[in-house]
Amino acid sequence: MASFMNKLSKIKWNHYVNYAAVAIVAIVFSAMTFAGGLPQSTLFLLEKTTMNIVLAVSLSLVVGFLGELSLGHAGFMCVGAYIGGKTACLLDGAIDGKGILSFIISLAVGALVAGVFGFIIGLPALRLKGDYLAIVTLAFGEIVKTVFENSSKESFGGPIGLRTPRFDKQYLFIIGFILVLLTMFIIQNLIRSKHGRAITAIRDNEIAARATGINVTKYKLVGFIISSSLAGVAGVFYSFANSTVKAAVFDYNYSIEILIMVVLGGMGNISGAIVSATVITYINTQLQTLLTGDLAVLKDIIYALILVVIIIYNNAPSLKFFREKYNMKALVSKIFKFVGKPSAGKDDESAWHRVPTKIEMNEILSTDLKVVESTLEPDKEDKG
Amino acid sequence: MDFIVTLVNGLSLGGIYAMIALGYTMVYGIAKMLNFAHGDVIMVGGYTVLVFLAVNPVLAIVMSVIFCLLLGIVIEKVAYKPLRGASPLAVLITAIGVSYLLQSLALIIFGAAPEFVIIANLGTLDLGPISIKYSTIITLVATVIVMTVLSLFVKYSKIGRAMVAVSEDRDAARLMGININMIITITFAIGSALAALAGVCSLLNVPTITPTYGAMPGIKAFTAAVIGGIGSIPGAMVGGILLGIVECLCKAVPEIAPYTIAIEFAILIVILLVKPTGILGKKRREKV
Amino acid sequence: MKFTKVLALVLACVMCLGVLASCGGGDVNYAKDNTKIKIGASGPLTGGAAIYGIAVKNSAALAIKEINAAGGIFGDGSMFFDELVMTDDKHDPTLVAANYASLYEGGVQITLGTVTTGPALEFKDLSHDDNVFVLTPSASGDAVPEYDNAFQMCFADSNQGTASAQYFNENYQGKKVGAFYKSDDEYSTGILAKFEEALDASFGTVTKAAFVEGDSDFSQHVQNLKECDIIFMPIYYTPASQFMTAGIGTIKNNAIYYGCDGLDGVDSVKNFDINTIPQEVSYLSHFNSGATDGAAKTYINAYREEYGADAPLNQFGAAAYDCVYAIRDALVAAKAAGKTFEVNTSASDFCDILKDIFTSDSFVFHGVTGAPEADGKSNISWNSTGYVNKEAVKYIVKEANEAN
Repeated sequence: MASFMNKLSKIKWNHYVNYAAVAIVAIVFSAMTFAGGLPQSTLFLLEKTTMNIVLAVSLSLVVGFLGELSLGHAGFMCVGAYIGGKTACLLDGAIDGKGILSFIISLAVGALVAGVFGFIIGLPALRLKGDYLAIVTLAFGEIVKTVFENSSKESFGGPIGLRTPRFDKQYLFIIGFILVLLTMFIIQNLIRSKHGRAITAIRDNEIAARATGINVTKYKLVGFIISSSLAGVAGVFYSFANSTVKAAVFDYNYSIEILIMVVLGGMGNISGAIVSATVITYINTQLQTLLTGDLAVLKDIIYALILVVIIIYNNAPSLKFFREKYNMKALVSKIFKFVGKPSAGKDDESAWHRVPTKIEMNEILSTDLKVVESTLEPDKEDKG
Repeated sequence: MDFIVTLVNGLSLGGIYAMIALGYTMVYGIAKMLNFAHGDVIMVGGYTVLVFLAVNPVLAIVMSVIFCLLLGIVIEKVAYKPLRGASPLAVLITAIGVSYLLQSLALIIFGAAPEFVIIANLGTLDLGPISIKYSTIITLVATVIVMTVLSLFVKYSKIGRAMVAVSEDRDAARLMGININMIITITFAIGSALAALAGVCSLLNVPTITPTYGAMPGIKAFTAAVIGGIGSIPGAMVGGILLGIVECLCKAVPEIAPYTIAIEFAILIVILLVKPTGILGKKRREKV
Repeated sequence: MKFTKVLALVLACVMCLGVLASCGGGDVNYAKDNTKIKIGASGPLTGGAAIYGIAVKNSAALAIKEINAAGGIFGDGSMFFDELVMTDDKHDPTLVAANYASLYEGGVQITLGTVTTGPALEFKDLSHDDNVFVLTPSASGDAVPEYDNAFQMCFADSNQGTASAQYFNENYQGKKVGAFYKSDDEYSTGILAKFEEALDASFGTVTKAAFVEGDSDFSQHVQNLKECDIIFMPIYYTPASQFMTAGIGTIKNNAIYYGCDGLDGVDSVKNFDINTIPQEVSYLSHFNSGATDGAAKTYINAYREEYGADAPLNQFGAAAYDCVYAIRDALVAAKAAGKTFEVNTSASDFCDILKDIFTSDSFVFHGVTGAPEADGKSNISWNSTGYVNKEAVKYIVKEANEAN
């Protein structure tokens, strides 16, 4: 019994280590800003990083755990930004538009409306599979963008954008960290619950999941709605971090940027998504501010090369042995082994984030199972 | 009369979309990947025309096709081949990386300023009440020829049939002795050459080129391919033409012109909801 | 779980960087180590709008080089401008905050703001908080000079719309007016709205054809506008050149293309021969990049000599060139007025000094944009709202091939 309790406590600690890491970072930076020590560049970087983490973690639910490709995450964020920003503008007369109360109300409204949009899009779209869903979500994002862009000046500002109250930049990132923790809490608890297991079961084999009595439509929809309302939360945060919400920002390139964060972080890996969102935001900001003037043309090339090299290195089947020998994880765990005791719960093969993803399955599956995979793809045309 | 002109414009624009969509659809059908860098191949084709235009317009077109064909092969070998068997998402991200790379290279080599690429001054065909540009007619004719040749190629040539086999069932095709890698490379080469042709037709109608020139046609063509049923060659044609006509009809009405993109995408959504695999995509039975 | 350790490691690294970077927070003077006065700007150097940002970057750098070569700000070698710091915002407002912070914390004392309006709306709030001086060459949105620290070198959008409509009212009565505009662009829609407002009712409704970012096939727009006698084009010159090319043979040969300052540079698009366009092409602007005399010509020659024939040259660049000289003149005027400043004076102090000068009635700047006076230079001044006062001129890029 005691050993069981011991094991339990170890696993729990393991579950909460990423909360702790985020919280510690948040506390350190908060202490520094209350001491008046943080320069604007750091504040802006933190705001952007926390926003991107919320986006990446929420998209990770759909792409990594539900196994559906969504290219419209920025569209939901756009809904959240406009609706939340408009709410804050309307509240500005009654209560202080930049205050925390106004923020919370806007957040609730923005998340709710984005969630409703998630429902409206998800209900029909989740009948579609794979790349078909990708194009429909992409289409949704572009439609939302176009509609807000052509709105009247009085309603949502039209092409020039909606002017929104900007939250005190000294403290906004603390709210960002709270939102990150909230997002992690929602997603991780969902994944660890029986609903989460249902969701990953759908990802791994939809037909088998349906056969075992899982309500596939319901779970897909729930995942999609939660993901989109969290994107809406990030959007409301955006509207409070900027003085203008402009629809053109939320194009499919932004959705792709978020998808890159999720994929680089590892499918179905929340901590990975957090790390890669942080690193990508940091690299992009550094490239943007360091390469000024004539050097600016180099930054996209550098970014693209980093992207291609990392993806090929991480995913190429032919580099598998090389990867297992010399990877960051091995390096880090070596260092940690060297410094301290081996990490606890290491042999817990059933830990939720260790459940092999569909992608890993594809690599190891035999031929006849691959036929199953190809029938799950959208249909092919008989040529000829 | 205006309506006929609008329709012809739509057909011509749709033809360009269809040609680009063909590249998307073939690559998707055979390599099972969304090649997001496809739009940027059009841009490279356009710049190749620009470079060789001073020598001879015909040579420029030929060089553009050859260069894009080679570029397609190189991109496939360097960026996508190492990932064969890996997650489709990883390939998608690599394709996006390649797209960024091509755009930045074009920006560095040619600069950001738009350049006019006038392949030929073709003039207008007057048919009494309506007048149609020769460039429009050439685009239409080119689309029909490309589509016919491609269909015949896929149907009757050895390589074409191998393509169909690979797209049907890769493992069975391998067992039948088909070199899958070679087929995929050939598919990329053909797709990229078609992109170059689309670029040339597009330059006949709109003689301007910038480094970001391929992005929007790329997305539109992707949409067209999905509307028609991705993986289907006639589907790409149907989807492209439909999208082109819808676009021109929307633009003909000033009040709804700003919403053109939204309407195009809304049509896509509606079509997919009614027919989840696109107009000419075939429904397959799923089994465990 | 190994990943959580990576996470911890990376976040720890970020934290360390944060700690290091935080050494100079609060109300410090980031410029205290400057040895020259530093000018900064943010603009699109890559992406679709790059030609405008690159023209600004080149022109401002040219002006700084010229001023320094001529003995610095006062001509006596006592004070110089540092090299221009220009960050890339890709015409994307989300990138502006980081750019602004890197400029401000990098010791930039005077800014040219941003090149385009969208990013400028972020920049104005950030710069207002720190009291940093902004003289934007080309962000023409009406809301850009909302605060007292911001000034425009270009005409505000609403002024351009009204001025164009007045010109139409006076000169083109009885003609059928069409408009070709970009519906997702604040510049284009802003001007068009004011234009329609100020246009006489006798013109009837304006026939409109809209396009959006990424469109380049304008054959349908040409169809919509083929009946019009005058086509108003509040857009930038690249789509304009495409539209006019598409319009050959369909748009009436005696029609008139009429644009705003964005149209300047239309005859400089590479390989585009404006003489293939049969119609008259004209625009109301503060600069003509085809100028053949006066200060404008001197600037164009210097620019071409420095950057070659292929570099983008347009009114954005000319305005940026004027901005740097206007700042120089304002500093000279400030010194004459007894204000003291050093090369390492803080951005906020510079802002207070320059604000006073720019809003004072006696400060008139003579530049290359605006209608030239007898000496080839224009008179430019600013009112307290930050809007510019100068004469716009209708430039005819190309006459019609046949008499109307």
